[in-house]
Amino acid sequence: MPKKIKTTVEFEGRTSEVLVDVPDIETPLWPNNAELDFVGHPVSRVDGEVRVTGAAKYTSDIILPNMLYARILRSPRPHARIMSIDTSRAEKLPGVKAVISAFNTQPIRWHQTSSLFDKTVRYVGDEVAAVAAVDEETASDALELIDVSYESLPFVTEMEEAVKSSAPKLWPGGNLVGGKPYVYERGDLEKGFAAADLVVEETFRTQTELHTCLEAHGSVVMWEGDKLTVWDSTQGVFAVRDALAAIFNLPANHVRVIKQYMGGGFGSKLEVGKYTAIAALLARRANRPVKLILMREEEQISTGNRPATIQHVKMGVKKEGTLTAIQLKAYDGNGAYPGGTPCGMPYSEMYLCPNVRTEDYMVFFNAGRSRATRAPGFVPGTFGLESMMDIIAQKLGMDPLELRKKNYVTVDQADSDRLPYSQKLLDKVYEEGAKQFGWGDRERRRHPDSSTKRIGFGMASQIWGGGGGPPSYAIVKINRDGSVDVFSGTQDLGTGTRTIIAQIVAEELGIPMTEVAVHIGDTENCPFSFLSGGSMTVASVGPAVRTAAADARLQLYEYAALSLKVKPEVLVSRGGKIFVKGAPQKSIEYKAAAKAAGNSMIIGRGLRGPNPEGYSLNTFGAHFAEVEVDTETGKVTVIRHVAGHNSGRVINPKTMANQIQGGVIQSIGYALTEERVLDSATGVPLNANMEAYKPVTSLDMPVIEPLMLTEVDEHANTLGNRGIGEPPRIAAGAAIANAVADALGVRIKELPITPDKVLAALKSTPTTKPPTKERRLERGTVTKKGGSQ
Amino acid sequence: MKNFQHVNPETLDQASALLTSDAGAFLIAGGIDLLGEMKSGTIRPGTLINLKALRNLSYIKFNDQDGLRIGALTTLAEIAAHPEIRKNFGALAQAAHSVATPQIRNMGTLGGNLCQRPRCWYYRHASLVCLRKGGKECLAVAGENKYNAILGGGPDFIVHPSDCAPALIALGAEVTVYGPHAPRTMELENFFLFPKENVRRENRLQPGELLTEVHVPTPSAGARTVYLKVKERGSWDFALASVAVCLLMSVTGECKDVRIVLGGVAPAPWRSPEAEKVCLGKKIDERTAIMAGKSAVADAVPLGKNDYKVELAANLVKRALLMCATTA
Repeated sequence: MPKKIKTTVEFEGRTSEVLVDVPDIETPLWPNNAELDFVGHPVSRVDGEVRVTGAAKYTSDIILPNMLYARILRSPRPHARIMSIDTSRAEKLPGVKAVISAFNTQPIRWHQTSSLFDKTVRYVGDEVAAVAAVDEETASDALELIDVSYESLPFVTEMEEAVKSSAPKLWPGGNLVGGKPYVYERGDLEKGFAAADLVVEETFRTQTELHTCLEAHGSVVMWEGDKLTVWDSTQGVFAVRDALAAIFNLPANHVRVIKQYMGGGFGSKLEVGKYTAIAALLARRANRPVKLILMREEEQISTGNRPATIQHVKMGVKKEGTLTAIQLKAYDGNGAYPGGTPCGMPYSEMYLCPNVRTEDYMVFFNAGRSRATRAPGFVPGTFGLESMMDIIAQKLGMDPLELRKKNYVTVDQADSDRLPYSQKLLDKVYEEGAKQFGWGDRERRRHPDSSTKRIGFGMASQIWGGGGGPPSYAIVKINRDGSVDVFSGTQDLGTGTRTIIAQIVAEELGIPMTEVAVHIGDTENCPFSFLSGGSMTVASVGPAVRTAAADARLQLYEYAALSLKVKPEVLVSRGGKIFVKGAPQKSIEYKAAAKAAGNSMIIGRGLRGPNPEGYSLNTFGAHFAEVEVDTETGKVTVIRHVAGHNSGRVINPKTMANQIQGGVIQSIGYALTEERVLDSATGVPLNANMEAYKPVTSLDMPVIEPLMLTEVDEHANTLGNRGIGEPPRIAAGAAIANAVADALGVRIKELPITPDKVLAALKSTPTTKPPTKERRLERGTVTKKGGSQ
Repeated sequence: MKNFQHVNPETLDQASALLTSDAGAFLIAGGIDLLGEMKSGTIRPGTLINLKALRNLSYIKFNDQDGLRIGALTTLAEIAAHPEIRKNFGALAQAAHSVATPQIRNMGTLGGNLCQRPRCWYYRHASLVCLRKGGKECLAVAGENKYNAILGGGPDFIVHPSDCAPALIALGAEVTVYGPHAPRTMELENFFLFPKENVRRENRLQPGELLTEVHVPTPSAGARTVYLKVKERGSWDFALASVAVCLLMSVTGECKDVRIVLGGVAPAPWRSPEAEKVCLGKKIDERTAIMAGKSAVADAVPLGKNDYKVELAANLVKRALLMCATTA
């Protein structure tokens, strides 16, 4: 039996202690120079073909016999009490099979003290009622036949308004999540500012960003007696299972949640959705399966968003560039229900600074709720912090990269024990990134001053968790023909998890990847694995898979040893053969060994062991952006983007490059085009569609150059890797914003940087002529205290 | 989307008669704009009259004497790719190419592009009743008006979204309208309505009338044309502002004739006689181009969040004039 110990696991900036097993099978770390056949190779996706040919079944592709289609009626008002709901007209519409609302269902507890269907609606889009009908059109028609009587309540759509004492209250406790700010503090701010040669204060603003998952949220549900099966577009099949079991008072083994293929999940699919519970209620009432897939508008207004922020930042620094104090007071626009993440963490973790205080006020207001969004908190926080670093560098006459190197830190300052990082090669990322980008000779690439186009260069650094951790489990079965089944209850969001599991198993067993079938995303036949979020998936499930494969391998060796008449301990395997170490001629095909086992099933069990004691597990990176700004139109174009990352071992350079490219692409939208807009008079979201919300298109994408350090992390886990899902989102937008400021000679402190803001900024500068190259170079030697930018 | 009848007319007369007799009938060609309006709930047609059933409305004909004739059902992709249009009517090819995405240009027609409805967020939102949908006021005035009009607005402040219209007006195009009465022809410039004239419609089509053809005279020898459009993202975006210029220089290098038409800044394509006057008889140098740009927006009245369009439009006029003046 594996022994149990306590270990620390971090998820999106929050740590917790869990009791975990220590695996009793050793899987020693493959060293940097190990000759590996699959791990570390640019392997194409094992499910690429079924995905591009349409053979893969996504949630919305599931069609069950007798299935109904559901639609949700949403509140048109930003804040109101529902006085009554009359569903009789809707129920009479031919084809309608069930109509549910707060007035004909038992309350199901949801968010704060509200319910699945609450009698108070708190934003335009809040769930009011739902219909199941024989087709989607009938269900939509029925929504219009539901008569709702509302009593409007005062509402507030701006977070700066919402924090005022006179503002309408969304909750009895007021408009702050938790009733007070999230505060982090170390050292002595006053002393820190007193010790500074230069103190800089600025305010930065970021917009509300929408997840815009290409696959909208949705579920297909089926009851068989009191057994519930759910096909769900989710980042956590077990989280959804457990929530549904609690809601419907069912044993866990009566709820099966399935997620096979996914069209994107960036945090808004980390928990059970109201739509899933609504579909299950409708299905039970109608006694037929129900499909409920959200429309794009619903995906944009009701499933979550990255909170807008207002960041008041004050930083103190010595002449030579050493930070002495960092102070942040931030408002984070949480929306109507809790769900957002504070933005203060990069300020306390990224750079060496003894005196730090961050205060995040998570504000309730009458808008769609915020949710974890790919690197929650860190994306807006890093924009503020890295903008400040550039402002300071300019004031001190330092190169921006030099200022960052000057404040390099090798221990986790936010940890009370100041633990060292398991691996931090950010200095190497700086060096290689700068070289690849041509940071040192960038001035030569500027346009002549006469041009209406200006070139700018910017960079930014990144810190994030992503170490992963237990518990996660896997099972590896070897069939009598030598084919292998791997089971783990993780999910592939489109990130390549399936492929990476196949790589690890093939490597550990020494067999071709084509022999390995990966089964994930099913709570009924897969052992538990954690949510796919927090950049944790591969570092969590990967080691478990490896252990399971090792367990199966050792069992197979027993049969091989009998045939070869050797002891199993002397055997190794590679290339589909099991052979005696040092004597490869003494070998047996692994398929022959499997055949020898026959129907004596080989079942390997694997689990993720504890995280290492004495280390903080974090990921690091630095991005370098080159932009061109048209001074006559205000249009910013990202020309080139070098994205450097240090996440330990690279298991698949192809899928990792995909992650980096996707992160940079989303970040360009964040930096330049995307913004949710609410009408302040009505609280109505005005641009909840793909055209008006403006995610970037292929023409907006620059050359993106992923730079991936491959050094194995010797402490993190038995694979030596850390996460990469979120890190590429963190520095990219900040680097682009810094490049724009560099191009213009004036800084835009509010995202997104759209042409109207660029033109306004250019107008506000005393001279519309850009600084000459000579003057730019001179900046490097000017040092002065204070003064405005 | 609500249920509707889909009718394939056999003749133009039949299409026109259906349109006249059925108040809930709408024309559908490429369907790009119409389906968007239906899906968002802005309109709820009872009948769709499928113009694609009329095969003879898709054509491009060109000869030097007659000029260019384009059937209303010709797709934007066909216009953008047509060699004669690219050669002789550059601004039109550029405008057609600047529209949305390849998929949309493959389906979207010239007639649809000219007759499309406004993109104003308040107009497009199903649950908001703006002036153009019979409400009491233009909701953009006190609301989110970043993309709204700076010129020619009032009582509402939509901008006309067409890219092809400014280019065609700069090229002196006229349109043929077919209807219950004899076909009529009018300058495209006069086809559009300002909200002062009618706040519910954007053009002069009468009940039962269809736009069937666009005719563009062959530009004078040596005329240069350009269409410039500024978008927030690379594709699938409407103009923050756009400009079409058709410039003819004299042998001595002065502006002999010019048409300057702005898009994205007014409820209809905005021809600027003021800017044209600045140019006439002058060499088109940077100074003249800047003056022309400034005079084009001299009467602009921004709404609060669209001030940037004033400078943007002026800069575009300047840039387009200089491009025309310097291209060989």
